[in-house]
Amino acid sequence: MNFTPPAIDYFALSPMIVIFAAAIVSVLVEAFAPRTIRRFLQLLIVFGALLTSAVLIVLNAGTRTVTGGGAVVIDGPALVMMGTIVVLSILGAALMAERSIDPVGDSFAARASSLPGSEDERQLTQRGYLQTEIWPLTLFAVLGMLLFVTANNLLLMFVALEIISLPLYLMTGMARRRRLLSQEASLKYFLLGVFASAFYLYGAALVYGYSGSIFFPEIAQSLTSKPSESIVVFIGMGMLIIGPLFKIGAVPFHQWVPDVYQGAPTAVVGFMAATVKVAAFGALLRILYVAFGGVRWDWDPLIWIVAVASMILGSIVALLQTDIKRLLGYSWIAQAGFILVGLAAASPAGLESTMFYVIAYGFATVGTFAVISMVRDANGEATNLAAWAGIGRKSPLVASALSLFLLGLAGIPLTSGFVSKFAVFVAAIEAGATWLVIIGVIASLIAAFFYVRIVVIMFFAEPTEQTASVVVPSAFTTISLSAGVAVTLILGIFPQPVLDMLSNAGLFLR
Amino acid sequence: MNVYTPIFILGALAFGFAAFSVVIAGFTGPKRYNRAKYDAYECGIEPTPQPIGGGRFPVKYYLTAMMFIIFDIELVFLYPWAVAFDQLGAFGLVAMMLFLLNLAVPYVYEWRRGGLEWD
Amino acid sequence: MNPANYILLSALLFSIGAIGVLVRRNAIIVFMSVELMLNSANLAFVAFARMNGNLDGQVVAFFVMVVAAAEVVVGLAIIVTIFRTRRSASIDEPNLLKY
Repeated sequence: MNFTPPAIDYFALSPMIVIFAAAIVSVLVEAFAPRTIRRFLQLLIVFGALLTSAVLIVLNAGTRTVTGGGAVVIDGPALVMMGTIVVLSILGAALMAERSIDPVGDSFAARASSLPGSEDERQLTQRGYLQTEIWPLTLFAVLGMLLFVTANNLLLMFVALEIISLPLYLMTGMARRRRLLSQEASLKYFLLGVFASAFYLYGAALVYGYSGSIFFPEIAQSLTSKPSESIVVFIGMGMLIIGPLFKIGAVPFHQWVPDVYQGAPTAVVGFMAATVKVAAFGALLRILYVAFGGVRWDWDPLIWIVAVASMILGSIVALLQTDIKRLLGYSWIAQAGFILVGLAAASPAGLESTMFYVIAYGFATVGTFAVISMVRDANGEATNLAAWAGIGRKSPLVASALSLFLLGLAGIPLTSGFVSKFAVFVAAIEAGATWLVIIGVIASLIAAFFYVRIVVIMFFAEPTEQTASVVVPSAFTTISLSAGVAVTLILGIFPQPVLDMLSNAGLFLR
Repeated sequence: MNVYTPIFILGALAFGFAAFSVVIAGFTGPKRYNRAKYDAYECGIEPTPQPIGGGRFPVKYYLTAMMFIIFDIELVFLYPWAVAFDQLGAFGLVAMMLFLLNLAVPYVYEWRRGGLEWD
Repeated sequence: MNPANYILLSALLFSIGAIGVLVRRNAIIVFMSVELMLNSANLAFVAFARMNGNLDGQVVAFFVMVVAAAEVVVGLAIIVTIFRTRRSASIDEPNLLKY
């Protein structure tokens, strides 16, 4: 037997390789660097690697290749997703690097293993220990996301799914304040997450059993070439998409979203809410458009049901929330439904509008959580809506920024949210799903109500003694916040260059 | 039959060495008995410290078990390579060495952070 | 022996695992049920590899074992942390986050 090594296009893979190498170095820094310079080195490595990776993605702009023995595919949509993930990760990591908002340090527990409320914890906090393990975990999560959107077979996609999930489970449990909430969120996220991965894996086994291959293009081929369609492959497909749908947080796989939003450190939520959604939609698009593109009529009803359930449940339950982080969690669920409307179109327009939506959503989300991390009272972040009454009078600038993001998420014209909602609805109408768009518009009206309610509370309610104050952050949060504002406005007023870029990116390589 | 001859010779040698060691130790070893000698592992530590209160085991056991699992299972990748390493050639060798290098990194981290110390 | 029987066995194991996740209360047992689900998928992969006559399924099984081990470690870390805080591994007890 002769073995020929697979041809590997190292340049095409370089954005991932840089992140992976940086993650390894970052673990070594944890092992060897003295505590005093650890944070500085970690920040250098993380931002250096993310920026390098972004540059390499831009240099790869023309690359369209399948490499690594067919396991990795670098094509136009993949590059767009990768670029978005890396840029959003830079902004998310900047939120995590913020140290001047909380008087005792950054937003992570000084040592995650110390017992909440113990003497040990108090001493570590007093000595000003900062936990730096969060940085290698961040890099590994980013690596997983890059692999998730470029995976061309079921195995790599599973491994990437786990590389994303495992660090995020841990990061969720590391909040400095309200640690019981944080740990509880981490446990729930973990148990539900591995449950969903197991479904993904068994679905992958069934699909493999039917088609005899784990590679997406070959699965597509076997679906069109085999004379009789087997029920096994459709059960398999249904179980397979549970993996990405769980990460997206679509109903009925949404239970973890509000808990994690409320419990996890705000900076981590900002990071993962923006990036994971991009990655998960990238993977879902690739599974459905490449592997199952030929049997669109069999999966469309599934996506319709999930989209309608997400839009309606997310919008209505969000109306009842009093905690702003939890409210945004339900709003994420509703947004997932809107994006799925575009995805269900199964057309080039569906692909473009979905990508545009996740980009617009990602930047608005990072900005929103930047603002939430700045609004504080004596006990840390003031997430109860009662504490937000009249914030707009005390700090008009910050409150206006948040209003912009919220109106963007609601889909008000002149913001990115309007263009993206319009794009997905047009794609759905072109594909003949007008009834779905009607439900979508009704759900957006309900959603607009709770977004606008926060704006009203901030600007038109009288400040009470409960009203929190806005802390002035360092450059890290300021940069994330300004980037969020800039992108939300630019994509709203002048979206054409980005839309052109997305249509130039073309379709998935098969 | 020829193919199996080396295996039989190896087996015979291994068995012979084991039997020889056991027998010779009985003849030549010093015979001084004390309490430590009667413990299960002869190293002076109680084999299983009794769980403190409520029949629960200290968390250290979990840490050790976790470390064992992670480093033990990773080695599953070495097995296919070991079976076919001559056909896989330089590519396989380099890939495997890189894999082992990456596996050594968490080990170093574990060691530097005191994860390998019992107390 | 007919490989289809192995597929049936794996489906059975998967269901047992899924039901275990849904009905058990102890986090460790829930977690073991998830491992059972992953391993039933492994069995299905290997059986399908035999039926399809290629090695892809066996390769997947190797990777899944390793990923499952990594998951065990992360999961135990989280469960042990919760246990030390609350002195209990019941998944009904952490109930601060609701509605």
